[in-house]
Amino acid sequence: MLGGEIMSEIVMQITELTKVFPLRDSKVGFKAVDSISIDLYKGEVLGVVGESGSGKSTLARCAFGITEPTSGGTIILGQSLVGKSRKATRELRAHLGFVFQDPAGSINPRMSVHAAIAEPLMLAGMDSDSIDKRVNFLMDRVGLATSQLSRKSHELSGGQCQRVAIARALATNPKIVLLDEPTSSLDLSVQAQILNLLEELRRDFDLTYFLISHNLDVVSHLSDRVAVMKDGVFVEVGSTRQVVDAPKHPFTRELIRVYSGAAREFDLDTWQDGPMNRWAFQNVSTFLPTRKIEASTKPLEFKALIDDTLDAITIDVADSTYTLPELLADVDTDAIVVVRKATLVYEKYFNDMTEDSVHLLQSVSKSILGALYAVMVERGVIDIDKPIAFYLPELVGSVYEDATIAQALDMTVAINFSEDYSDPQSEMARLDRAAGWRTNTTGQDLGLRSFLGTMTASGEHGKAYQYCSANTDVLAWLISEVTQTPYQELLTRYIWQPMGAHDDASIIVDSEGLSVGNGGISCTTRDLARFGLLIVNHGRANGEQVIPTAWIDATLAGASADVESADYLQALHPGGSYKNKWWITAGASREIFGVGIYGQYVWVDPTSETVIAKFSSLPIPVDGVHSRKHMALFKAICAH
Amino acid sequence: MSTVLKISELEVDFQINGVITNTPLRGINIEIKAGKTLGIVGETGCGKTLTATAIMGLLPSSAVQRGQIEFADHGVINKSEMAAIRGSEITMIFQNPQSAFNPIFTIGAQLTMVAQRRGISDIKAILVARLESVGLRDPRRVLESYPHELSGGMLQRAMIAMALLSTPTLLIADEPTTALDATIGDQVLTLIATLQKREGFAMLFISHDVTAVAKVSDEIAVIYAGRVVETGPAHDVMSSPQHPYTRGLLGAIPSAEKARGTLVTIPGNVPSVLTNIKGCAFAERCSARIDKCDQEPPIVEIGNRSVACWVVKS
Ligand code: SF4
Repeated sequence: MLGGEIMSEIVMQITELTKVFPLRDSKVGFKAVDSISIDLYKGEVLGVVGESGSGKSTLARCAFGITEPTSGGTIILGQSLVGKSRKATRELRAHLGFVFQDPAGSINPRMSVHAAIAEPLMLAGMDSDSIDKRVNFLMDRVGLATSQLSRKSHELSGGQCQRVAIARALATNPKIVLLDEPTSSLDLSVQAQILNLLEELRRDFDLTYFLISHNLDVVSHLSDRVAVMKDGVFVEVGSTRQVVDAPKHPFTRELIRVYSGAAREFDLDTWQDGPMNRWAFQNVSTFLPTRKIEASTKPLEFKALIDDTLDAITIDVADSTYTLPELLADVDTDAIVVVRKATLVYEKYFNDMTEDSVHLLQSVSKSILGALYAVMVERGVIDIDKPIAFYLPELVGSVYEDATIAQALDMTVAINFSEDYSDPQSEMARLDRAAGWRTNTTGQDLGLRSFLGTMTASGEHGKAYQYCSANTDVLAWLISEVTQTPYQELLTRYIWQPMGAHDDASIIVDSEGLSVGNGGISCTTRDLARFGLLIVNHGRANGEQVIPTAWIDATLAGASADVESADYLQALHPGGSYKNKWWITAGASREIFGVGIYGQYVWVDPTSETVIAKFSSLPIPVDGVHSRKHMALFKAICAH
Repeated sequence: MSTVLKISELEVDFQINGVITNTPLRGINIEIKAGKTLGIVGETGCGKTLTATAIMGLLPSSAVQRGQIEFADHGVINKSEMAAIRGSEITMIFQNPQSAFNPIFTIGAQLTMVAQRRGISDIKAILVARLESVGLRDPRRVLESYPHELSGGMLQRAMIAMALLSTPTLLIADEPTTALDATIGDQVLTLIATLQKREGFAMLFISHDVTAVAKVSDEIAVIYAGRVVETGPAHDVMSSPQHPYTRGLLGAIPSAEKARGTLVTIPGNVPSVLTNIKGCAFAERCSARIDKCDQEPPIVEIGNRSVACWVVKS
């Protein structure tokens, strides 16, 4: 079969096997097995590995004629399982053996070991003398003493039960044996005995095995070929060595890593998580396509007057008291810059960062888009009360046909979108795949444009706050479409250079070169502070009005009280809201800030004229404990 | 580094009318340092879970316990003292999260009760924050859900959140990933390890899954027939097992690298708890056995390893 051996005869041919289970709320139903074709060669072990819900057991049951497939079928030893007379089917079935996970369950508890093994022989019409001989022979071959013949299954250990099940499966001398999780309920040392036994029997009786298991160790040990199954299809099939040594599909790679006990490695699916993000957030342009946002020729310089007493302040949060350096370490800080009344008063770098290093902003990028829109509106480029599809007719038919620009800015678009970062099926994960932030092997959502066009409405817009990253991507696309200017150039011209950026920044683009407005900007810590300073200085920098004062005032006023808020937002910031891509707190001192997952912040306190720019590489994306620590940290600095 | 849990010569008998029916735990000696993880590995019926039950002070009344359990700054503690700190200083997660939650109450209602018992103020905010910190992105929905409305992985995360509502000194995790798919189980392990690194609790991690134990543990204790047969740093135990049983167990793990049909097997079965064992409990199945093995084996120190066996040499 493999390694240059001559291909032996095909004993089982599975052709376009499909099994659909009806679903209550769906016309289409659930496709457990989706058009699988594979051949089994005489004497080989084909192992199918997959997790729960992958469809592997359904595949086996359909292939072996236990369950009727919806379409497609199996040819066993040259004969089809479908459309046969009962007798012919029974004869064909005699060539098949079955071993299932739970031996105690598959052996009738009232039957003795002898009866359990003899039953299939009786059905095949063997006389009782021959049956006794055959049973004794099988007992010997599976390593059981004949003294056990009168026992019932509950009197046997798990390993002994499985030996009985194997003897029963081999009773009629089958050619092909289905092993469905044959060792999954056994202890490790017993599992090894059964695996050795299965191999010995295969060799001695020239058996072909169709092995199904969730356990990659078991499958890769016993099989000549491995098929990796996920969501009803084989994502990868190959010789065991090929699959184990050079896995191609990301899911196979993930399984192999998990079974090897190794920690997650840096790749396109893990770079955002800790600890990979400690390097990745400072180096996105080395592994994702980016475009440059250019620095100013007249950078805004700060006076520097470092206030060491900040190190001594203590901060109470979550039942503990921290000094500032302790709390910074606790939230995995990469960099922090504090500017008060145009003076740099505190600046610390960790994790190999310096004042020249750039760091990914994640969703703080959204707040920069908010500022750009302020400029665009003032220049009369767009009308934010128009529906988005007014400017992007491609989006007619999607949620953005009716939702307005203002609603997208304020995150009040009612959209079927789950921002769940941990769920690979969520729209957020799809967005990441479309943007090229994750591996995309789905063949769908290639590029942001096609993804955004598939988004649908979930209700009436403008009523409730619903944080949704896609809303920012659509606005980045819209503004560059209307102005016929790449998004990064708009940022260079209207924000970055006028505010006096000292260094170039960059933005990640998708496979079509469209900017990832929701989170793709990287810049230096000081430049992020310069951006925050625009708010403190009523939109002015270097003596010029960069963003309109009226827009800042309107944003600081927060969202309208009519907009329904979200519990998590109220839990963190009672009375707070989201407006124009910024977060605003309530109360006497009204702070305004941008936040990105894994701990990125620009925090502005207009009252004390303080700006804090802060980067982190937290291990997980969102986490209330860390959000609280950050709030306490910023408030303590501003109050000092 | 301070010791959080020290168990010395723990033995458990079950008795009926004063007559000992069996002794499922004998000579359990383990120690866990602050912020570190001890992994207990063993097969079905070896006494892993019983050890956890004894630590939690939850053994049934027919059990007689000997030996000492010292916990953090409490020193030696008895069953009733343990009851006072159970659920706050020591918390537990286990294989089946369904059994941690009452099916007729929402997750939110149950977490609120636990939070009230622990004297947590500002409960709603803490619950939301905690659920987020275990990777549940939509905590509001989770709080409103009944247990059966969540997937196994989500419920497992909710149980972890419950155990960590306030940071314990020791978290006991008994087969926390066994019921989950391998990739989900790995996410849960990574999550527990991340939370531990951040919050500094010590952990007793119990599993039959050698790979999982090796991944999260600083130290490993291998249990056979109610007794610790080998302890040492996780990496050392995995790469150079000393006790014949540990060697057999690691040799039994199948992989593509091992030739088919040649897995190391341990003949026979684990002795029943009802067997009255004299000498080394592994003797019946051990290929290295010598005459002396019918006497209680000594604990031999080999470097940073302790091994209960007559034939290993220090
Ligand atoms: S004490 Fe003897 S029987 Fe027990 S493990 Fe060591 S060699 Fe084997």
